[in-house]
Amino acid sequence: MNSKYHQARSRLFSLIPSLISILLACLVSSIILLLSGHDPIEAFTSLAVGAFGNSYRFSETLVKAIPITVIALGTSVAFKAQLWNIGGNSQYTIGAIVAVAVSIYLDLPPVFLVVLSFLAALAAGLVFGAFLGAMKARLNVNEVITTLMFDYIIAFLLSWLVYGPMMDPEGFGFPQTALIPKAVMFTKLIANSRLHGGLFVALLLVVFLFLFWKTPQGFSITMVGQSRTVAKASGVKVSKTIIITMALSAGFAAMAGWIDALGIHGRLQDNLAGSLGSVAIVVALLGRLHPIGIAVSALFFSALIVGGNTMQRFVGVPFSLVTIIQGLVIIFVICSNMFEHIWHKKRGGVQHD
Amino acid sequence: MIDFIISLLSGTLRTSTPILLAALGQVYTQKSGILDLSVEGTMIVSCLAAFIATFFSQSLFLGMLTAVIVGFLYSSLMAFLCITVKANQVIAGTALTMLGTGLASFLYRAVFGIRELPPVIQSCQNLEFGFLGEIPFIGPILFCHNITIYLALFLVVVTWFVMNKTVFGLYTHAVGEFPRAADSKGIRVSLIRYACVMIGGMYSGLAGASMSLGFMNTYTDHMIAGRGFIAIAVVVFARWHPVKVLGTALLFGGANTLQMRMQSIGIDIPNQLLQAIPYLLTVIILLGVSKHVNFPSAFGTPYSRDET
Amino acid sequence: MGETVLQMQGITKYFGSMAANHEVDFSLEKGKVHGLLGENGAGKTTLMNILFGLHKPDSGSIILDGKEVAIHSPAEAMSLGIGMVHQHFMLVPTMTVTENVMLGLRLPRYPLINPAIAKRRIEELSTQFALNVDPQALISQLSVGQQQRVEIITALYNQTRILILDEPTAVLTPDEARELFEILRVLKAHGTSVILISHKLDEIISIADDVTILRNGELVCNAKIDIHTTRKEDLSAMMVGRNIDFNFAKQATGEGRTLLSVQHLSAYNDRGVHAVNDLTFTVRKGEILAIAGVDGNGQKELCEVLTGLRKSSSGSVMLDDQDITDAGPAEIIEKQVAYVPEDRQRTGLIMNWDVSQNIVLKSFHKKPYTKGLFLSPKAMTQTAEKAITDFTIKTESSSCIVKNLSGGNQQKVILARELTENPALLIVSHPTRGLDVGAMEYVRSLLISKRNAGVAILLISADLDEVFQTADRILVMYNGRAMGVVEPTVDIQTIGHMMAGVVQGASHE
Repeated sequence: MNSKYHQARSRLFSLIPSLISILLACLVSSIILLLSGHDPIEAFTSLAVGAFGNSYRFSETLVKAIPITVIALGTSVAFKAQLWNIGGNSQYTIGAIVAVAVSIYLDLPPVFLVVLSFLAALAAGLVFGAFLGAMKARLNVNEVITTLMFDYIIAFLLSWLVYGPMMDPEGFGFPQTALIPKAVMFTKLIANSRLHGGLFVALLLVVFLFLFWKTPQGFSITMVGQSRTVAKASGVKVSKTIIITMALSAGFAAMAGWIDALGIHGRLQDNLAGSLGSVAIVVALLGRLHPIGIAVSALFFSALIVGGNTMQRFVGVPFSLVTIIQGLVIIFVICSNMFEHIWHKKRGGVQHD
Repeated sequence: MIDFIISLLSGTLRTSTPILLAALGQVYTQKSGILDLSVEGTMIVSCLAAFIATFFSQSLFLGMLTAVIVGFLYSSLMAFLCITVKANQVIAGTALTMLGTGLASFLYRAVFGIRELPPVIQSCQNLEFGFLGEIPFIGPILFCHNITIYLALFLVVVTWFVMNKTVFGLYTHAVGEFPRAADSKGIRVSLIRYACVMIGGMYSGLAGASMSLGFMNTYTDHMIAGRGFIAIAVVVFARWHPVKVLGTALLFGGANTLQMRMQSIGIDIPNQLLQAIPYLLTVIILLGVSKHVNFPSAFGTPYSRDET
Repeated sequence: MGETVLQMQGITKYFGSMAANHEVDFSLEKGKVHGLLGENGAGKTTLMNILFGLHKPDSGSIILDGKEVAIHSPAEAMSLGIGMVHQHFMLVPTMTVTENVMLGLRLPRYPLINPAIAKRRIEELSTQFALNVDPQALISQLSVGQQQRVEIITALYNQTRILILDEPTAVLTPDEARELFEILRVLKAHGTSVILISHKLDEIISIADDVTILRNGELVCNAKIDIHTTRKEDLSAMMVGRNIDFNFAKQATGEGRTLLSVQHLSAYNDRGVHAVNDLTFTVRKGEILAIAGVDGNGQKELCEVLTGLRKSSSGSVMLDDQDITDAGPAEIIEKQVAYVPEDRQRTGLIMNWDVSQNIVLKSFHKKPYTKGLFLSPKAMTQTAEKAITDFTIKTESSSCIVKNLSGGNQQKVILARELTENPALLIVSHPTRGLDVGAMEYVRSLLISKRNAGVAILLISADLDEVFQTADRILVMYNGRAMGVVEPTVDIQTIGHMMAGVVQGASHE
């Protein structure tokens, strides 16, 4: 039917700005490489090889993509409602802390621990997010600053825990907890790699979010993001929706923490989240806040990260090039929004009576 | 005991300086209605620029000047994205911080390569004030710092003066509160905002320079360590008053210095808890304050004459 | 005889295909108060915005003191001695009076501000013109009347010779309005010329020396006002115009039972002033009660209270004998109350969404749009397509983005949405504003047909044509109060007077 074709075509079209943004980012970073005496082709080839060159590297790329995807799913939920949750790190960390705590300190059969740690981590994320959402909805507290502050607070909490109360008594004083029982951790999918069963959980979550946007609750959240005024006039309970949105957003990130805890880390260490939170933001934006787009973008960025390490080792191009590309991609994506606007104005034009 | 306090207060002034400088700049920016999350990125880039300039020219002054110029230029990107492209300020700021982090790290390696010993410079020396430095108690606290500290204190006065006693400060206040009213009185909203963001960038540049030229004598990748974000929180906490910014910056610096000193005398409060205090405080204060919308009313929203 | 300080000749301004001003002439004499009179949408504000540099005329010229000028911005207008006090004050609430005045200074000569000098000058002007303004006060602490005087002082400080006041008494109490007129008289004596945009007849007569009347963007007449001889009836006749055709055949409905009963309802507006003041009325099934009145007399706040978007301060609202006072929007929607808001694009539609999504804004969580856990886009599309057919919405498909539709078609989408759920009570606010003639006809006949089918309709409108064509009864609202309820057989001058707050009509329910 006519409209289905149009829909498909417009969806395809909406990919173009993302692709152009990536291209431009690569272009600008190539210029930076040239100016500093590196060979861009060599650099990008090494990146690609480092990410996908052999099965181990490919598995590493997937491993990295898992938490990035899940956190980015959460980030996208908040962004869709125009709530700027940039604290993916702290929410991931909370999930990990709870997951590891439950797994280490409770003496139960492994299956129970897996389920319990999941529920606990999820609950922790939901509660934390609801708290952040309530602050915003009821007290009008700027969520950018609060989520940012909590990134630091939770990072300090983690640091205190691994240097203090949760430190492994047999760990030779390293700032880390004991390992969670092997039986609790996810099984490895491929021998001799770190790829673990969490991959399926991540995929499940992608599907979950995809379906979620097709539910009435998802519709409400999107409406609130488009216009709080219209949402209110249409009978949507805006405050409640904000709280639910933030809860979900943090919940996803917390689950990412759980997945990684049971998948690769197996314990808590200082600075667990690294830069996952900020990468998740880029991925969410590049993926146009769409679950499938996010999964693809996450793969792309984890490839950059994994490949970047190889690139640094073998071709001497610093890993920071990857961070540069990340920043550039976002800049071009937001600029592209402006161009899209102008493009639509010129092409479509408004109907007249 | 007295020695401990002296060392604490003296150290606080030193530790607070970079935060104070960046925060003062953000007074302009936030008052004009822009939430600038790229401060961290600006500081990182300027910090490196200052170091490189000083390393090759042996001139601290040139280093500081370079940092101010770089801060000015880098923040113009933020201004462009927020004011002209009218992009979402949170995202733009996050992007520029990311970009700045990557660029600085990359540039450092490009210029200095990999060395066994990190390159160092002759950092700012503590100034001599003659007999003033000998006054018991006050002397060692106030009169023995390098120039960046005094520059920062001077800029507190400057910022207060500009915001409260000049036409520019008046216009900035109006632009941040009620841009439509300012526009209707013939004030160029975009121009004022550009100016404020870029002035903020210059202050951030100075803040970055104070880190690599004053606080330390070298550059490392994670030097800034979130001070840019702390500065943003400081300004909000201090409700955009330059003098309160000073006080708040000292509070943050003090907590930091305290936890460093406490370890050395064996006090057993976990240092992470101490370090977290400023951030917790910010959240708590925001909880109490935000309901009555004290933010410049147009905070975070792009302005366009056509929109209602 | 007065010298002419300003002449606007042949001013024409189009917004899209609509002529806001068409060949309008306007001239102003020195030291006089000149009223600019007309209904909403007559073109008064557009004309003055052109004078103040906010719009550029498509054709025509402006002659100031005998010299032709082109005014490109408010800053330029101010430097030419033209000042404007808008309906919505351009004052920063967190700054003091002095600071706000300094903000509006034409040419600050020094980078430093000197509040002491400004304060002195403000006090001088305040005394000279009996304005009674405290330079140290924060704007947020001032009453509306006082805020207006701050705007006037700013204009005087800038040596404004031509002061434009846009509906200045719209936000004032009668006492404050009287004080304002005293001030205007003093201004006149000092040689300042004043242009007073208003729709209030008795004010024009009491304070203006001359009046220019606009209607539908065109000049109707220029006249001299004499407080003793000029008749309000003549002015309102020219303002409002010709006879109304009673086009629509309305079936006589039996006395339907009362569906909506509003008793002594009061509510504050955003500024903390009573916008709705002890209002009482009822709407029966199968009737259209039109609330006539010029914009800004509390109609917006009334709608918001009735639809759950604003809390009342006192009084009650009963729907079908159930108390819905201060109920939330969701509850009211459940009770089958439909609402077509006046601000279509801000409150009624999500502009970036398509037709099918906008059709289900209020009903998406119910069957058939939600089956089990998920939404059913098919059901949404189906309803949308039926609506497109039933309401002849001109659009390529139900997945067209609403932003790209014309005003009339956007309105049809809203109407389709609201009417699909078979409401018992339909509240429509300014439904044909900004629509072309064809769309207007459509909407009005749709309202009539719904009325015939037994829906209770509350119509808020400033368009008297519309009111007379569709209403069974007319309630005139002025300053938040009911001036009276009349039949549409009453003559138009009576309504015009009531709208302007002049006459207390006989009230019968």
